Amino acid sequence: MAARIGTGCAGRTVCAVALIAIAAGLAATTTTRDVGAQQAVAGPISFSRTLYPIFEAAQCRGCHSDDGVASATRLHFPEPNATPDDIEAFGITLAVLVDRDDPSRSLLINKPTNRERHTGGVRIQPGSFEEQALTDWVRHLATLPAETIAAARDRLASASAPAARDQLLRRLTHSQYNNTVRDLLGDHSRPADRFPPEDFVNGFRNQLRTQGMPPLLAEAYGAAAERLALNAFRAGDVNGLVPCNPSGNRDVKCRDQFVKTFGRRAFRRPLDAEEVQRYTTLFTSQSAKTGRFLDGARVVVEAMLQSPKFLFHVERGDYEIASRLSYFLWDTMPDEALFEAAANGELRSGDGLERVARKMLGNPLARQAIDEFFAEWLRFDRALGSVKDRRRYPEFTPELAAMMVQETRLLLGHLVWDDGNFMEAFTADYSFLNADLASVYGLPAPSGEFERVRLPAGTHRAGLLGHASFLSSNAGPVETSPTARGIFVREQFLCQHVPSPPPGVNTEVPEPTIDRPLARRQRMQAHVANPTCASCHRLMDPIGFGLENYDAIGQWRDKEVIEFESARRNTPARTVELAIDGTGEIAGLAGGAFSDPKQIGRLLAESRACQECMVKQIFRYAFGRLETPADRETVKTAFTAFRESGFRFKELLVALVRSPQFLDGL
Amino acid sequence: MPLSRRRFLRNMSMTGAAIRVGLPPLAAMFNANGTAYAATADAGADAAIQPRFVFWFNGNGIPERYWIPTETGTAYELTPCLAPLASVRDDVHVISGIDNPNARVTAPGNTHHKSMSALVSGTPYTGRGAGGASVDQVVAGAMRGESRFRSLQIGVCQESHGENIHRNLSWAGADRALPPEMIPHNLFDRLFGVRDQSWVSRKKSVLDAVREDLASLQPSLAQPDRHRLDEHLTSVRELERAIASLPSDYGKTLKEPEDVADLTDYPRIAKIQSDLVAHALASGQTRVASYMLTKCQSLVRLPWLGYTRLRHHDYTHTNAESPEGQRTMRDICRWHVEEFAYFVGRLKAIPEGDGTLLDNTCVVFAHEHAEANPHKDNGLALILAGHAGGMKTGMHSKMRNTVGDLYLTVAEEVFKLRLDKGFPTAEKKISGIV
Repeated sequence: MAARIGTGCAGRTVCAVALIAIAAGLAATTTTRDVGAQQAVAGPISFSRTLYPIFEAAQCRGCHSDDGVASATRLHFPEPNATPDDIEAFGITLAVLVDRDDPSRSLLINKPTNRERHTGGVRIQPGSFEEQALTDWVRHLATLPAETIAAARDRLASASAPAARDQLLRRLTHSQYNNTVRDLLGDHSRPADRFPPEDFVNGFRNQLRTQGMPPLLAEAYGAAAERLALNAFRAGDVNGLVPCNPSGNRDVKCRDQFVKTFGRRAFRRPLDAEEVQRYTTLFTSQSAKTGRFLDGARVVVEAMLQSPKFLFHVERGDYEIASRLSYFLWDTMPDEALFEAAANGELRSGDGLERVARKMLGNPLARQAIDEFFAEWLRFDRALGSVKDRRRYPEFTPELAAMMVQETRLLLGHLVWDDGNFMEAFTADYSFLNADLASVYGLPAPSGEFERVRLPAGTHRAGLLGHASFLSSNAGPVETSPTARGIFVREQFLCQHVPSPPPGVNTEVPEPTIDRPLARRQRMQAHVANPTCASCHRLMDPIGFGLENYDAIGQWRDKEVIEFESARRNTPARTVELAIDGTGEIAGLAGGAFSDPKQIGRLLAESRACQECMVKQIFRYAFGRLETPADRETVKTAFTAFRESGFRFKELLVALVRSPQFLDGL
Repeated sequence: MPLSRRRFLRNMSMTGAAIRVGLPPLAAMFNANGTAYAATADAGADAAIQPRFVFWFNGNGIPERYWIPTETGTAYELTPCLAPLASVRDDVHVISGIDNPNARVTAPGNTHHKSMSALVSGTPYTGRGAGGASVDQVVAGAMRGESRFRSLQIGVCQESHGENIHRNLSWAGADRALPPEMIPHNLFDRLFGVRDQSWVSRKKSVLDAVREDLASLQPSLAQPDRHRLDEHLTSVRELERAIASLPSDYGKTLKEPEDVADLTDYPRIAKIQSDLVAHALASGQTRVASYMLTKCQSLVRLPWLGYTRLRHHDYTHTNAESPEGQRTMRDICRWHVEEFAYFVGRLKAIPEGDGTLLDNTCVVFAHEHAEANPHKDNGLALILAGHAGGMKTGMHSKMRNTVGDLYLTVAEEVFKLRLDKGFPTAEKKISGIV
């Protein structure tokens, strides 16, 4: 220990004694003697106690984190619950932002003070006490030997080792419930559409931390089970659920056969003896009462559909893997072949899993599963629920909204299932249109319904950012919303979380007035003029400004048209036409400036942040949670497989199936 | 005064014929033995009436200048937003100045998410949901009531950004949302649907099997997974209780609400839901309810007010500080108060014991923000309504307390409950509530 301290502390930097000891993992706390020594000299004492609170107060973490808007920079703050030791180590790793030859030129001091252009603006006031403390720290870092810095980096990396299993059982999602009862009972009534809706968490509806069983949902499961069981046998056993011909309501053999066969499919594994006993007893209690065999079967179905063994994923072993594969790749229960693969132990090796997974991807059921992912990731619910001003957009109807979503489904489906380059989602110079959509886009009607159409040369529309589903759902009833469109790009396509405005800030956007008709972009200048607003809005609005040529339902417009209602009835409304400035930038992305909506798509498609975000989004959906530092390796491996395949989405799915997280169900 | 059938019918028709009433006579509706809710000469009869709690919410904030009265005390003037309270002025206590400190804790999420979590539970937003149990659930838990439903969650307007924290007012615990029932028909069926005996017995045996399945799974699971199944078991128990205590006559008393053809006719739906909640409270089916008129950060459009250009949340940030913007906010918030006043009026119209249901109820009305545009999370304006536990009413008070202080006071002073762990952000009880 002494030797390390010796190498770590030169000249006046005795202060670093404790820090380096901690960084090297040798001491958890500062000894009394060390503290005394540190206080003897002016300058940084403990990073975690002095500098870190300054960074936190400046809210650097808001952007500089794994999922922040500055995720592409070299500065990533540790998790909020990091230990003081990890924070000390983090403080030392900041040396990467220090100019050792001339500490005053370090990014670590010049970025937060905005001496060098900082997307987040001034976070630390030049000349303040905070800046002095930071300068002292920078000078100190400039003197640290390389091995000290490397040791701190190692420590930080090991700190993010996999956490203990902190999981909860996953519940069938509403979509999985609908698909499962369809495949289990032949019932196409989609009962879950009438359950209490699933809410979005982490951008998806299937996040396991919030998949609870509140009484209202349990009641809805009960009511659905009752109806499904009734319908299953209302006209006799029309779906062939009973595998034998009962000789009467007391046919015990047929009863047992039914309970075992149906139970294996409902619980997605063979029943144990206790379960067979429980459900045959239940069967008999009812069939004996009414004298009808099928009434026994009905009550068994009703009960099993409410059992935790149906509603939650509690299967274990081979059947657990079979279910996980099935619900991930098909969004429904396993079929007979998959049950057999589980029974034969085919799912125990990575190669076996991959073989089965590839075969499953050839089944049309896979489309429904990936469709559901797209629907949640791209928030089709918002597009389908959009309401537009009837006077301004008379053509916008729920049917048109559904067509908009259909276009997006078809493009993504084409890329996935025809093995296209998935990043083409942002650049495609073709789309899938019908006459109504073509009319929104100002194109001639195609001859067929939703057939592939090449967008004419000279059009500004390309890929998802030109899709009406995206443009209309991120806009108000009349006006566009550059902020909403910008946030959507940040969150869905770059996996960057935009910090919220601090409380107490005026966030209003002025309405245009007849005396001072200003375009939306000009009216939003307040966001840039006020430094508090600018630091975040600079990240969102300029992306949306680039899409201002698309109105609130996604039609191209050369001018922004503002309609002023007349103060008097029967006098016509006055309209004002304003020029649109469609230039903008994706701040924080190298070469992020653009002057045309098409270029935004190209920038995204080519950026690593966006490519990696595709991996993160499917990861979050597949595992029902956000990725943690412990998942970095898996995300990286999947990303590599995705990129090396030329961004084939199926390869990304296969890579996730082969990940340790998938096998362990984490 | 015993409940007269004619009077009840008259009350019902005030709802705009949302609910039709048939036979049998209404004295039967309140409870099986007919004593608890009917006044008798026995002085101890009132003791049988149990107080009820309703947590009422609508999203976004308010225009303070049109909401908060200038004067305090009893001689305050109703502001434009509060004008609909005129008929129940003596039954409400307008409160301003309440702080929501945990809205300011650094947490993921936007200002609405953070304020909402702290408002309902006193705890910071987790990034997924509220950080702890909401006040209605804390009260319901402390009441240890044996009513048919431990609590009810009711909603009206649907439009929101769709996240967990936006869509739920009641939380059983951290990240454990209790979704509201939004559809009047479903709510009616839950409360007043008629079931025959064979249904009840089949349902019971089904739930027995489910319960056995739950029990057989428990030992094999890790702790967090067991928690999840415990939650399932709790819900199964609540279902069993709801079935076991099916009211025998109430279902025949109330007719189903008429179909609401337009599912965005929110003023109509709000009134039907208010009626149903009032009857659920009156018939002793529950003692605690939460009522979410609109979602947090509500995106509802308001054609019945003539505001269709934007959605509610858009209006709060568009030209919001201008006189015109403030007037828009005034009209929108006045509509919220109208619906609130309707509900309070319904409680007041239902006789109970020597007085009315409102005499035995405490309603707390809150928003996630004070002034809406700046997302203000201190100086919240709330309204308390009712007379449970001798609540002070007919006045406006400015306070310098937290939401936690207020909830603690409501629980301990109004309901005479003891909250062993206090309430997050509560430091001291507020004098002047009862």
